[in-house]
Amino acid sequence: MRRAAPQPPLPALLVLAVIAAALPAASQVIPDDLGRPFPLPRATPERIVSMAPNITEILFALGLGGRIAGVTRFCDWPPEAKALPKIGGLVDANVEVIRSLDPDLVIAFRGNPLRLVGRVRKLGLPVFVLDIGGDLDALAPLIERIGRITRTESRAAGLVAATRTRLAAVEAALRGARSRPKVFVLLYGQGLWTCGGESYVDDLIARAGGVNAAAAMPKKWVLYKRERIIKDNPDVVFILARSPGDFASARDRLARMPGLDRVAALRTGRVYELDENAASRFGPRLVEVLERAASLLHPELSGGRT
Amino acid sequence: MSRKTGRTLFWAVSLFICLAGFLMSLLTGPVRTTAGDLARLFQDPDPVLRAIIIDLRLSRAVLAFLVGAALALSGAILQGYFRNPMADPFVVGVSSGASLGAVVATALGFEAAAVGFSGPGLLAFLSGLTIVSLVYALSLRRGGFRVETLLLTGIAAGALASALTSFLLFMRSDSYEQAVFWLLGSFQIAEWSQVATIAPWFLACLLASVWLARDMDLLALGDETAQALGSPVRRVRKAFLAMSALLAALAVAVSGIIGFVGLVVPHWVRILIGPGHRPLFPAAALAGGTFLLYCDLLARNLLPAELPIGIITAAVGAPFFLYLLHKKR
Repeated sequence: MRRAAPQPPLPALLVLAVIAAALPAASQVIPDDLGRPFPLPRATPERIVSMAPNITEILFALGLGGRIAGVTRFCDWPPEAKALPKIGGLVDANVEVIRSLDPDLVIAFRGNPLRLVGRVRKLGLPVFVLDIGGDLDALAPLIERIGRITRTESRAAGLVAATRTRLAAVEAALRGARSRPKVFVLLYGQGLWTCGGESYVDDLIARAGGVNAAAAMPKKWVLYKRERIIKDNPDVVFILARSPGDFASARDRLARMPGLDRVAALRTGRVYELDENAASRFGPRLVEVLERAASLLHPELSGGRT
Repeated sequence: MSRKTGRTLFWAVSLFICLAGFLMSLLTGPVRTTAGDLARLFQDPDPVLRAIIIDLRLSRAVLAFLVGAALALSGAILQGYFRNPMADPFVVGVSSGASLGAVVATALGFEAAAVGFSGPGLLAFLSGLTIVSLVYALSLRRGGFRVETLLLTGIAAGALASALTSFLLFMRSDSYEQAVFWLLGSFQIAEWSQVATIAPWFLACLLASVWLARDMDLLALGDETAQALGSPVRRVRKAFLAMSALLAALAVAVSGIIGFVGLVVPHWVRILIGPGHRPLFPAAALAGGTFLLYCDLLARNLLPAELPIGIITAAVGAPFFLYLLHKKR
C-alpha cells in the first residue's frame, strides 16, 4: 500500500529513512493467514525453513534457493531441493531439527498441524503461515506475500506478472471455443478420489475450457462413486500420475470397472495424463498444467498456445 | 531377602534407571549431541544448543515422566478401589471421555489456550472429569452403591465416548494427524507450560494418596470391615475416585490417550514390593514415569519419523504383562 502512494520529495524520503532506521521495523508488520502479526525483516532472510513443497518451489522461483536451510521430505521440485536438509514431513516435521537449523524465517502452510507450528513459534522463531487458495487467482497474492516476507518484492512482482500473462493467454486462446467438455479428474492414489467445487483444480478445469464433473460437490476433495461417473458420462478423463506407468495402470483400472466402458471418455479414448507433482502443489507450475489441460480439451485451438 | 531390603533395592534400582533415562533423553535426538555439549551448556550457552536440550528435550522428558507417573498412580488407585487388578483409567471412562472432549474441541475449531492447556486439552480435562462424575452418579441410583455397577457403567460410558470420538474423526477425514495424536498419544509438542500445568496436581494427588493409603489397605478387607475398623469408607472412596480421574484426565489432556501404563505398571510394582498401598503409590509413580520416559525415547529415536507413543507402550507392555502373569502362575 505504501508503494502505491505518489512520490514524496527527496528530503521527506530521507527523513523517513532515518526514522525507519531508528525504529526497527515498527511500522512494517503484516498479518499471516492465521491473522497473527508478523514483523517484516529488514533484509532478505539468510536461513529459511520451508514446511511445504509449494512454498519451496516458490522460494526457488524467487531465486532464494541458496538461502533455504531446510525443506520437507516431499520437497522434490526443483530437483536441487532434494539435496537440502530435511526437517521431516508435512504433519511430522521435527521441531528439534528445525531449531538446529537456526532459521531466521520459517514459512509454514495451513496443512501443517497448528500445534506443531505453534510449538515452533514458541521457540522464538519467526513463523509465517500461508493458506492454500481455492482458485488460481490466489497464486498471485501467495507469491507476493512470500516476496514481501523475504524482501524480494520486485522479483515476486515479475513472477506474478509472468503468471498473469500466461493465464490471460490461455483465456484469450479459448475465446473461440464452442464446446465445454465435461471432465472427470482422477487424483493420485487408490480409490476414485476427485476434486470438488472448492478445489483449485476445479478452477483450473474451468479455465482450461472444461466443466468439472464433480463441481457441484461442496468440498475440496471427494471420494467419488462409480455409478456417478457413469451417470455424469464425462467426455474427458484426466489422471494425475507420477509416471507413464502410473498413468497406464490407473487408466486400465478405470477401463476394467464394470459399466465404465460406456462412458464417453473411455469409448473415445480421451483419457489423458497430467503431472501429479505439478498439479498437486499450489505453485507456479499450475500454469503449465493449465496450458496442457487447455490444449488437450481444445485441440482445435491449440494454435493459440503461447 | 526380607521385604524391607527388597523395597530398598527396588527404589535404588528404579532411581538409577530413571536418572539414566533422563540423561539419555537429553543426549539423543535427530540432532547429534555429545556429553561435551551437555557440559558446555553450563559454561558457554549457545542459544541453539540450549533451546534443543533444555526447551525441547528436557521439557519433553519431564512431561513424559509426569504423565507416566500420573497414569500409573491413577491405575494403582483404581486397582485398589475396585479390588481388581484389571482396573485402569479406561474402565471408568476417563480416557475415552477426555479424548472425546479433545476431538469435539478440534471439530469446533476451539483453539484458544488457557492456564497452560490448549483448547482441546482443556476440554479433554473437563470432559474426562464430567464422564466420571456421570458414571458415579448413575451407579449411585436407588440409594445403594456397588463397585460392580460403577465398573460396568464406566465401561459402557467409555465405549459410547469412543464411538462418538471415532465418528467425529471419521467425519473429518482431513484430521488424520489429530486422530493419531488423541488416540495413540505423543509428546512431540511437549513444552514447559504443560509441565507447569500438570506437576502441581500430580504432586497434590501423590501426597494425598500416600496420606490416605492406610484407608485403601482397609478397603481390601471389604467395605463393611473397613467401616467397622473406623475408616470413613464413602468419603475415602470419593476422594480416591476423584484423584484417579483427575490424574488420568490431566495425562490425556497434555498427551492424548496412552494405554497400558496404568494397567501394567502398578501390577508389576505390586509383584515386586507387595500390596501395601503406602509404598505402592509412590513406587508405581516412579516406575510409571520411568517406563514412559523410556517408551518416549524409543518413540522418537526408533525410526526417522516419530512413532505415536501408544504403539510403543502397548508393544512393550503387553508381552511383558503376559510374561509376568505366566511367571506368577
